[in-house]
Amino acid sequence: MTTQRGGSELTDPMTVEEFKATTNAIVANIEQVIEGKTATVRLALAVLLAEGHLLIEDVPGVGKTKLAKALARSIDCSVRRIQFTPDLLPSDVTGVSVYNQETREFEFKPGAVFANLVVGDEINRASPKTQSALLECMEEHQVTVDGETYTMDMPFMVIATQNPIEMEGTYPLPEAQRDRFTARIAMGYPDAAAEYAMLDGYHSHDPLEDLTAVVDGATVRRLIGTVRSVHVAETVKRYAVELVTATREAPELRLGASPRSTLQLLRTAKAVAALDGRDYVVPDDLQTLAVPVLAHRVIPTADAQLARRTTDAILSELVHRLPVPHDRRSPYDTRPATPPNSFYDRRG
Amino acid sequence: MNSRRHLGLVAAGTTLLASAPISLIFEGYTWLFHALLMVGLVAGAALATRSLRGRTWAQLAAMLAALLLGLTWLFGDGTAALGLIPTPDTIERFGALLSLSGEEIRSSYVPVPDLDGLLFISAMGIGAVAVLVDLCAVSLRRPALAGLPMLAIYSVPVAVYVDSVSPLPFIIGAVGFLWLLVSDNVDRVRRFGRRFTGEGRGVDVWEPSPLSATGRRLATVGVVAAVLLPLAVPAMGVGFFGQFGTGEGLGQNGKGGKGATRVDLFAELSGRLRSSQVQDMVKVSTTDSRPFYLRFGVADEIGDKGFSSRQPAGQPVNDNMPMPVGLDTSNVVTLRNTARVEVTQQFAMPLIPVFGAPVSMRKLGSAWSYDPNMQIVYSQRENSAGRAYEFDYLRPDFTPDQLRTAQPLQASDPVQRQFSRVPQVQLVQDLVQRLTKDKATPYDKVRGLYDYFSSKNEFRYDQLAPSGTSGDAIVDFLEGKQGFCEQYAAALAWMVRTAGMPARVAFGFALGNRFHEGVYTLTNKNLHAWTEVYFAGFGWVPFDATPAAFVMGSVNPAWAPNVDAPDLTPGSRPSIAPGGSGGPDPSAGPTRRNVDEGEELGNGPIAATAIPTWVWWSLGGALVLLLVLAAPALRRSMLRRRRGLRTAAGSHPPLPEGATDAAAPELTVTGDLDAARRRAHLAWDELIDTMIDFRVAVDPAETPRATVERLIRTRLSGATEAARLLGIAEERARYAPAPLAADRLGGAVRSVRAALAADADRGVRLTALLMPPSVLLRWRNAVYSATAAASARSAAFGERLVRITRPLRIRRPKLLR
Repeated sequence: MTTQRGGSELTDPMTVEEFKATTNAIVANIEQVIEGKTATVRLALAVLLAEGHLLIEDVPGVGKTKLAKALARSIDCSVRRIQFTPDLLPSDVTGVSVYNQETREFEFKPGAVFANLVVGDEINRASPKTQSALLECMEEHQVTVDGETYTMDMPFMVIATQNPIEMEGTYPLPEAQRDRFTARIAMGYPDAAAEYAMLDGYHSHDPLEDLTAVVDGATVRRLIGTVRSVHVAETVKRYAVELVTATREAPELRLGASPRSTLQLLRTAKAVAALDGRDYVVPDDLQTLAVPVLAHRVIPTADAQLARRTTDAILSELVHRLPVPHDRRSPYDTRPATPPNSFYDRRG
Repeated sequence: MNSRRHLGLVAAGTTLLASAPISLIFEGYTWLFHALLMVGLVAGAALATRSLRGRTWAQLAAMLAALLLGLTWLFGDGTAALGLIPTPDTIERFGALLSLSGEEIRSSYVPVPDLDGLLFISAMGIGAVAVLVDLCAVSLRRPALAGLPMLAIYSVPVAVYVDSVSPLPFIIGAVGFLWLLVSDNVDRVRRFGRRFTGEGRGVDVWEPSPLSATGRRLATVGVVAAVLLPLAVPAMGVGFFGQFGTGEGLGQNGKGGKGATRVDLFAELSGRLRSSQVQDMVKVSTTDSRPFYLRFGVADEIGDKGFSSRQPAGQPVNDNMPMPVGLDTSNVVTLRNTARVEVTQQFAMPLIPVFGAPVSMRKLGSAWSYDPNMQIVYSQRENSAGRAYEFDYLRPDFTPDQLRTAQPLQASDPVQRQFSRVPQVQLVQDLVQRLTKDKATPYDKVRGLYDYFSSKNEFRYDQLAPSGTSGDAIVDFLEGKQGFCEQYAAALAWMVRTAGMPARVAFGFALGNRFHEGVYTLTNKNLHAWTEVYFAGFGWVPFDATPAAFVMGSVNPAWAPNVDAPDLTPGSRPSIAPGGSGGPDPSAGPTRRNVDEGEELGNGPIAATAIPTWVWWSLGGALVLLLVLAAPALRRSMLRRRRGLRTAAGSHPPLPEGATDAAAPELTVTGDLDAARRRAHLAWDELIDTMIDFRVAVDPAETPRATVERLIRTRLSGATEAARLLGIAEERARYAPAPLAADRLGGAVRSVRAALAADADRGVRLTALLMPPSVLLRWRNAVYSATAAASARSAAFGERLVRITRPLRIRRPKLLR
């Protein structure tokens, strides 16, 4: 269980075409199960390749778990599923040391978290104690039990689902834990055609059963290595910082995004760029990711909440306000370099 | 309602202030009382109608009615019923007054006395302006429009006075207009409520608003343009600015005191001409339909100081005076005419003005004598002030052909001996030699010299030029080419004498511009000097070399036509040029003169074609205007060419539709990355400019990719691949490690532009071509940022000043309670 994370695959990046072909195969595979949700599927894949964790938040029955399972099945790697319930214990997640009478030693029985893909269903139904057990492994990719530290395999990804409706008897995720999820996505209802097609597909059997893996763990590690090598221009890095800073300065937000989010934003952007067949990140990547990556981390002010402004709306407006990075100032940009003083205030 | 009442009063006040320039027209102030009454009546009528909540048309009707009542009361002259109600007779009377005013305008000279017609028209005009100003400013709330009727008043004195006018009344009028504008604006702001600062401090009504910076900018630009523009316009050099630093010249005192007739006529002439006062001097009526100038003196001696007058010698005037010297009536048609002259007290000389060659004098005492040599009537004892007399005179009607028959005088001829002496000045000799080189007859020689004084040769009229007729002064004039009649007359006489012919300077009056019912009223402004040349068998023949445009009532006879007149066909000037010498008659003098001069002076075709200066001025002005208008388009095309040269790097065909994937690896460059980046940026800038030209909004928060997609989605029906290529190229240039090869970007820009133009309507296309919004926007932004920076600097300076001076400020000592 204490395998060296990564390996030689990480330093052997693919060409753009190879990457595209591989990832397209994964996406196509998943789409056999989840129909008409290409963007969501690609985002989920991007989070995997960005070495992040995914929070899927939506109403029941739209395919949250199905997506997580399909993604897991498409990759030939270990998959564990945890159904979070209020009585679930932290040791069920992380694992427990039991006394082996034969060897007269404590032996570590790894918990559900020791897998490449961990699907945590209805994560908000577990007690905060259990939820926080996930914290360490998600961020640090390691588990410490009884003073012993066990490193997780690579790739390691937690896909958690939660139901925003029916909040009774749930424990909403604390800020710290929310911040650890790279992205939060909503499935959304399928359109009519997709739903109709689904009826045919699921008529006789569950297509999930037929799903076979298209890549193995080593290939995924190579994919991750490729994503890591994607070029990010200085201006784009600056833009990422500006974007996150803007969330902290926005008057409608009580809590802005964390520096961790900047890192994850850029990492996911790299993955999205690679999925798009590019070896460089463009501001468009950051713009499309701003809502899924940042929206679940910020808290709107009471005024914004009263005005029924969702964080999604606030963030997309922010993106539309912020000028894109450029070496040169546009000759048509009339905004003053420094905000002007009020005439009367200066005189008064 | 209250604010309107206030504004109505301001409008009335403004009208009164704007009528200040009328004071330049009238001698007295009767007009002012009339104006007060009319404006008061109009304003009162407007106020009354408004307080009764009358509509705009009702207000207009009331004001017009008040105007009519006022005019009836002032000018009804007993025709009105009850003294106020206009009757048909009143209207008739008004019509008579109007036509009377027309005659008075033609016949009087400013400043005018209180003439009925003029008073009527000024009262009516001011009243009408009051109505219009009130209507514009109060009813329509467009006070700026009210400036137009006021401008009508402004233009009256400007049109009447040829030379400069006192600026004071105009300043008063302008202040009035500003008052109206400010009042209206304050009223507008007030209607929003009170103004407060961000801290809740009340702002005074008169405190400028933050927006006033723009106003100040506009005002500065306007004033600078208003001051600089007239300076650029020709013939306005003498005006308000020319007034400063000029003396009044010599002698206002034309009293015939000492030495009788030895009056310095030149000093008299320049002094009287330059006098700011206008004085009536002579009233003349004659039976002659085309009289020449009225004449009273001659300067025919040349000394060190130039021309001077001799002591005249002759017989007392009588009914049968001798014919003028040298005139042989068998050669020339002479017309006998009678004239009647009244001299005012302003013209007091030992000489009296007469026409041409007087042969019979009446009603003049025996104290006056006639010198047939000089053709002047003089007295040793009396002066001309207050004289009234009649005389018969001969006006010889020479023709150029007759004069050409005149032979050169014998050297022994007394006239030749006496009147062709002249100090030799090298420059004048050379000039005369050049101008008369291949002229055969004396007349052609004189014409050669006479024609030289034209605007083509850059001669200009300048009343303030230094006086003097000495050799040096003549040289100065011939070099500076600016002077008035004195210089022109003396220089021509000097040159004719240098050419070896007798010549002299004659003094008198040009005919002026006040001819009314057969009477010429001549003032000191009509004083004039000209040249007379002696031809054998013809006597003294006048030539007036002064530019005719600057001599009121100048006469240009056939033998000395106006050299500045545009070339007309002979037929169109039958009355003046019966000999046909005024036009480009192939056989006549002027044409030959032009050609000869063109060769001699090396002016080539310009001198020969004789295009007047104003044509060049207006052509130049049109060119400048065109350049200014075309500047944005030129700048745009320059920008495009500069970018295009560097983007296209040769001539690349436009990108075909459905070209290969823009991001294909073979398109990325490996060579000079920075150069490729720069080219991609240039192509992108061009695309952005093109989008702005075709009114596609540009958002700085949009990535190149998104911009292009929006462009394709909203505006582009073709060239989508080209647009995408540009987007990808810019994106790669900005963010990717390796930019795109820029070979096809120039073609792509061109095809996008063509596609945009194809989809746009004609107005947008024309604007993009002629007035590219991208250039205008750039310029505007540049101006904005410059002024913003300047105002920020000045604000910082002000704050520093406050900080520095704060310790110096005296604190008021606190009082003990």
